[in-house]
Amino acid sequence: MNTDKSTQVKIVEKHIANLHAGYHGRAEGLFPAPDALGDFRWTDDLILSTYYQAEYGRPPENGMEYRTGRSGGGFDVLDFKFLPKVDWLPTEAEIDISLPLNKRGEGRKITIDLPIYGGGMSYGSISEQVMLSRVMAAKKWNTYISTGEGGYPSGLVEYKDNIITQVATGMFGVNEQTIKYAPIVEFKYAQGAKPGLGGHLLGDKATDTVAELRESVPWVSLFSPFPFHSVYSVEDHRKHVDWIKTTNPNALVSVKVSTPTDVDMVAVGSYYAGANIIHLDGSYGGTGAAPEIAKKNIAMPIEFAVPKVHNYLSNENIRDEVVVMASGGVRTAYDVAKIIALGADGAILGTGELVALGCTRCSNCERGRGCPFGLTTTDPLLSQFVTPDWGAQRISNLYGSYAYQLRDILRKLGLTSIGQLRGRKDLLRYLGSEGNGSSEQDEQG
Amino acid sequence: MESGSNGNNRYDRYHIETKPAPDISEWPTRFTVEVGKIGLAKELLTEIWHHKFQNWDVITSRPCMYGVFSGPVGGFSPQPEHCVGCLRCTTEYPDFVKVSHNPERKKLGDSYFTSNFIDAISYEVEQGMIPVKGAGYRGKFGGDGWDGMWTDMSEIVRPTRDGIHGREFISTVVDIGYRPNMLTFDSQGRPTGPTPRVISIPIPLIFDNPPPSVSGELIWKIYSQAANSIGSLAVLPLGAILEHNLESDHVIPLVAPEEQENIDLLSGTPLMIEMDGWDEQLHRHIHDLFPETLICLRMPFSSSEELLAYNKKGIHVFHLLADFHGQGEDGEFVLDLIRQAHTAFVEAGVRQEVTLLSSGGIIAAEHIPKAILCGLDAVALDTPVLVSLQAEFSGECADRNESEFNMPNNLDLDWGRQRLMNLTASWRDQLLEISGAMGLREIRRMRGEMGRAMFMVDLESEAFAGIEGYEYG
Ligand code: SF4
Ligand code: SF4
Repeated sequence: MNTDKSTQVKIVEKHIANLHAGYHGRAEGLFPAPDALGDFRWTDDLILSTYYQAEYGRPPENGMEYRTGRSGGGFDVLDFKFLPKVDWLPTEAEIDISLPLNKRGEGRKITIDLPIYGGGMSYGSISEQVMLSRVMAAKKWNTYISTGEGGYPSGLVEYKDNIITQVATGMFGVNEQTIKYAPIVEFKYAQGAKPGLGGHLLGDKATDTVAELRESVPWVSLFSPFPFHSVYSVEDHRKHVDWIKTTNPNALVSVKVSTPTDVDMVAVGSYYAGANIIHLDGSYGGTGAAPEIAKKNIAMPIEFAVPKVHNYLSNENIRDEVVVMASGGVRTAYDVAKIIALGADGAILGTGELVALGCTRCSNCERGRGCPFGLTTTDPLLSQFVTPDWGAQRISNLYGSYAYQLRDILRKLGLTSIGQLRGRKDLLRYLGSEGNGSSEQDEQG
Repeated sequence: MESGSNGNNRYDRYHIETKPAPDISEWPTRFTVEVGKIGLAKELLTEIWHHKFQNWDVITSRPCMYGVFSGPVGGFSPQPEHCVGCLRCTTEYPDFVKVSHNPERKKLGDSYFTSNFIDAISYEVEQGMIPVKGAGYRGKFGGDGWDGMWTDMSEIVRPTRDGIHGREFISTVVDIGYRPNMLTFDSQGRPTGPTPRVISIPIPLIFDNPPPSVSGELIWKIYSQAANSIGSLAVLPLGAILEHNLESDHVIPLVAPEEQENIDLLSGTPLMIEMDGWDEQLHRHIHDLFPETLICLRMPFSSSEELLAYNKKGIHVFHLLADFHGQGEDGEFVLDLIRQAHTAFVEAGVRQEVTLLSSGGIIAAEHIPKAILCGLDAVALDTPVLVSLQAEFSGECADRNESEFNMPNNLDLDWGRQRLMNLTASWRDQLLEISGAMGLREIRRMRGEMGRAMFMVDLESEAFAGIEGYEYG
């Protein structure tokens, strides 16, 4: 667009004003949801209720479904068996939803204020503004985001205490400095949306700045190789961990893996190689570009992987020495609670945060200039649609709503800490393959 | 027919030449875009007033980045063919812009071959590329049939991304024919027993005989030329081959028992002949006339006993049919039928000696590796080929003979061949993605590898055991 700077500013202001009014109007139900909004996993109600939570920090009370989708399986066919109302804990009861991330005897102790942190979304796949929004919210909630595999924009350095440095196969932006910054280093072996396939940034998004950070050639597609070409065994992985520990002895180590048939073995191997956190990334999430065939068909959903890993680690008597975090299709506070009941310690979010910033889940992130809402893009004009202060407030509000709901769920189950929910499948109810997990238990009391 | 070498024994990597091949028939757009003219006019006037007849760049800055409002009168006459459903316009102007899924588009296909599958194929055949999108998975959690199955991946094995992008090689070659379990030799090292007789095709995909409602010279030519271009096979009726001069190493004559004499009219020796149903006399006739030719038996999925009985009679290549919705005669789904057929031959100790081809219900790229994991050697594609050529379904199309499809009036040979080449290239690349994720170097190794398949019923019963209300299966 050939416009001078002040015109550009006015254009951006115009669209920001329109977009904000639109998010508000739709969240409030002032206009009907567009027919083309939503899908089985993220229904129109889930998207709009996330807008609502991002605006108000509370779940909606206007009848919008904010807990489950309509996918006919997994989270959507599970519900909680809440106690009769008389047995609920009082609203003022102290309920602890914090999560310690290092359960081993040695090393730095880190505790996050809620059992959630932000997953890896790289610079390049999202804008710096969105990265800043995420990390500013993480700071408010004493939690983390991961850099993803795209380097460490300088604007993020002041937030380094809330940033996990991801070491992935392309090693983009990984150096001694960024390892030293990190309270937690995350090895990305695989990711759920494209298990076994490595990362992929389409050429259109490899702008000059993106390329500079990744030390690559502008406008050329970037494929991260798969797997790590230096790791062909658990012993090799152990050497990887040693490398990080030599550079930054204080860092906790997280190992991000996908969910193959033998995901339980992978988890045990990761534990013995020194991981503090095993991050299981199921196949139904993801924000970046992925071949459609990989999303549905390769590797199992997180709802199946977590109990498998939890049981195996428990049988090996090591469950209490390692933190299991789940991502890949965790959309709501109820999903977070359900995955913990299935055996995880906490959950990692990505898509939910983008929806809080206005994502309609249209899947056009990779088309042309990138996201028309300024999220998954580094286009200089589009990325201005998200200002970090506004974005941070929206994500922070979403976290606030999640924290409120998690406490509410625990209260209705008679539990005083999130740790007590872990692996409590007995507190869940299966609704049948057509059920969508939205029973009105609260009201029934 | 060997992949990887040409006549000069020089090594050639298998490659399909893709080219854009846009639709020739106008199909309904994916989305409809309605703009309230009064609302738009009011908005424009408000903006003009607000900007005091200045800042025209700001006033005319539109929400759509894809050109829907970029015609001469902008939003007053939107161009929905460009709409990608991002919803920015209706987010910015919810009071007068409406974006909907086009109900007419949803009517394409039928209850099995739904418009979502058609959308995927439309992209694949136009571009010859793998559909890549952001924002995760949008569909149902699992389901019956193919949807209740996932494939494995491996965290740290090769060949993987490198293989997918060509620096390492993942072979998609499969063999059709007969391989004896054991070779025997005399003291001079000469084989004394049966020796292998196989056709190697570079991809586990052939084109099946088109249904009667669309059959005709042009369609047969598209099939045979496309098979030729990709180095695979097309099964076509013997009569069509003779009448239109379609004989080639890439065309497999399909012969009904009553056509027995016409086989004699073939000028060359076919690599394989497909018998349309078992007929002792026809079998003997083909065998006597072309002793080197492979004989394939086309038949519905059937009991283990029946399959083994035909094997005993000398059939080593089976082309097993389900209907276009993947249902066998007893209503079982093709996935289970493939597993049963494969298991029957494994248990009889002769799986190595037979080839299993199948048609019916395999309509998406992901169905091919899943079918192979269940025990298939190669797929004979039916309805996806028709959809690639923009055939329209007339009502429910399950029956292989009765179903009515309408082809575009302006069907063109080169266009049709290119669309099928694009389809094959895209599906092959997706097969490489799946095998790369598993760390498999050869599709041949994928056959029947059930340890690399995960079924919803098993995963769910392990994960949800002990949850109130959950019962196995
Ligand atoms: S392009 Fe669509 S799916 Fe992707 S981030 Fe933007 S709104 Fe979300
Ligand atoms: S939905 Fe998106 S692509 Fe379609 S008209 Fe609106 S802005 Fe354009």
